[in-house]
Amino acid sequence: MHLHGQATSLERRPPIALGTVAVMHAHLDVPADLRAGFLAAGVVESDAGGPTVIGVPEAGSDWPTTLDALTTVFTTTKAAAIAGSPIVFVVSSDALLGRTGPTPAMAANGVVSAARTLAAELRKQGVPVNCVARSAATPVDAVVRWTLLLLGGGPDDPTGEVVQLGGAQIGKALS
Amino acid sequence: MRTAIVTGAARGIGKEIARRLTRDFEHLVVVDLSPSLADTALELEASGAQVTPVEADLTTDAGIAAVVGATGTVAAVVNNAGITRDARLVNMDESDFRAVLEANLGAPHRLVNALEGRWADEATIVNISSRAYLGNFGQFNYSMSKGGVVGLTRALAIALAPGVRANAVAPGLTATDMVETIPEDVIDRMISSIPLGRMGTPSEIAEVVAWLSSPASSYVTGQVLVVGGGRSLT
Repeated sequence: MHLHGQATSLERRPPIALGTVAVMHAHLDVPADLRAGFLAAGVVESDAGGPTVIGVPEAGSDWPTTLDALTTVFTTTKAAAIAGSPIVFVVSSDALLGRTGPTPAMAANGVVSAARTLAAELRKQGVPVNCVARSAATPVDAVVRWTLLLLGGGPDDPTGEVVQLGGAQIGKALS
Repeated sequence: MRTAIVTGAARGIGKEIARRLTRDFEHLVVVDLSPSLADTALELEASGAQVTPVEADLTTDAGIAAVVGATGTVAAVVNNAGITRDARLVNMDESDFRAVLEANLGAPHRLVNALEGRWADEATIVNISSRAYLGNFGQFNYSMSKGGVVGLTRALAIALAPGVRANAVAPGLTATDMVETIPEDVIDRMISSIPLGRMGTPSEIAEVVAWLSSPASSYVTGQVLVVGGGRSLT
């Protein structure tokens, strides 16, 4: 991809190699299809450092369970931030719109807001923090591809963004 | 008798919201942890409204039960109570993370759940979020809680329609006693990034809340309205 004859930053910093550096922490409550998709793409299930995929619970639950899940997101995110690792949160676009009930909406929108804050905190270090939002119809491989692309970003690449996959957000509330 | 519940009503924005709603509702249930709530209730009663103060911790089942026990049919709820425990994420304690999430997000969720079956016709919920839901340095926990409030609002708007409307208000920098703890040079820098060139006042937030709690906004639900002098653009 070239704009006005110049290589884009994505060309300068190609996506991370599959199966080598991206990690998904084993204790996170990641939806099963996502976990399987990331593992199939070579993402390592590990608590070690590195570009970090953080899945957000999509199923409804009570508040204490939701708070515990968000606390796990907090501890995982904090560890990645301390390590200076790029982070991508994967959320449900249906949850962002409140279509799947209160607790998934609270979790998804809360994580997007927190991601924007963390993006501001890590911007000077050039560490990107983004979100990928998927609908029920989004193929898992699209989620994996965009997640890895964003994890491979550098200082000039998107940060604090929500990449909505599949177009389900068009004509709906902005997040 | 039309009843409105306002949480975090002892001072600041919550107190001003309660004061404004005395013009539109016959009965106010005002809730706060602070013992100064009793003084606030006396002030509000001077307007002629019936006021029921409930000193309660809304992060507990007992606190929620106390509010519900003081309430019959509910025409309006304003979930305003909130706390801050600011730090950069890399320095943030888990206890501070959970405390802010419990108070700012768990409490409104619990309260609205507990009010099931008590809604008046055309009732309203207004959840107080914050401009920080758009992201704000040093507030990972707070911005998550306030983004969560936006999500809760959207879900309630769908789940409780058509009988109940739910909206959110996201105040920006507002002149309250919380702001008085911020150094003057920091305040000046913050104001310099606000197109309207000043802090908001609690009454300006309260007017928006009153509108969203009134029939004048009868076709508005599931929305978040940033009241921040244009700061979200700069």
